[in-house]
Amino acid sequence: MFKRSLTGRIILKLETAEKVVLGQLFDQMDELLDTEIEPLSEDPLARLINLDGPTEISSDPAVARLFPNGYSSDDHASADFRRYTEQDLRQEKLDALTSSRATLEREEMKSALTADQAQAWLRSLNDLRLVLGTRLGVGEDFDEDSDDPGYHLYSYLTYLQGTLIDCLT
Amino acid sequence: MSVAPVEEISTDLLTDRPWITLVWNDPINLMTYVTYVFQSYFGYDKPKAEKLMLDVHERGRAVVSSGTREEMERDVAGMHSYGLWATLQKDD
Repeated sequence: MFKRSLTGRIILKLETAEKVVLGQLFDQMDELLDTEIEPLSEDPLARLINLDGPTEISSDPAVARLFPNGYSSDDHASADFRRYTEQDLRQEKLDALTSSRATLEREEMKSALTADQAQAWLRSLNDLRLVLGTRLGVGEDFDEDSDDPGYHLYSYLTYLQGTLIDCLT
Repeated sequence: MSVAPVEEISTDLLTDRPWITLVWNDPINLMTYVTYVFQSYFGYDKPKAEKLMLDVHERGRAVVSSGTREEMERDVAGMHSYGLWATLQKDD
């Protein structure tokens, strides 16, 4: 869980079992995000300014949830928006994961986080919940007493993110 | 807590500007998280952020900002970076 120390720093305290589970989830998220995008053009300038960025929303609902359309009823504008933003967003998510993993892998059970590290955890946990929640079909009428192990994991992530939000607000 | 209609908020925010950013309800993002995002990204105070969050939750969507198209594309990208489901459109 996350908590505020007496000096006001955000402390992350995790049991070994939690570290193992989170490490596995980070690995899976890394794999989901780290897909090679084939460059359409050999022009380095075009690549530099993302002219070759992806234009189509993912057919995987969980990935689509991480990278939604920018326009609700304009496919052409959505494609352009995606071309210029998706790769940066993907990199941002990967960077947050890398940062979160670095603090996860510390040997101590308790570790103090910088403001940037706390933000990275906030993003990483939210991304994990979005993907897992989408996979589980979490909706307004979702059965909260479900025995599905995926749901227990989802509840744990919700709890963990909740403790971090409490620290930040 | 009383909740103003979405129209009232958008009129207040729009002031002749043609593009808006909408945040849509989703069952995964926590209400406290959405409020936090509105406060930290837009700099809204807590009552305003909570009101917008409740509009999203209860009405399915809320106008969270307005401005030029470029500004709204930036806001939508910002919302996506926090994992919120947001789109921009011309305010009709």
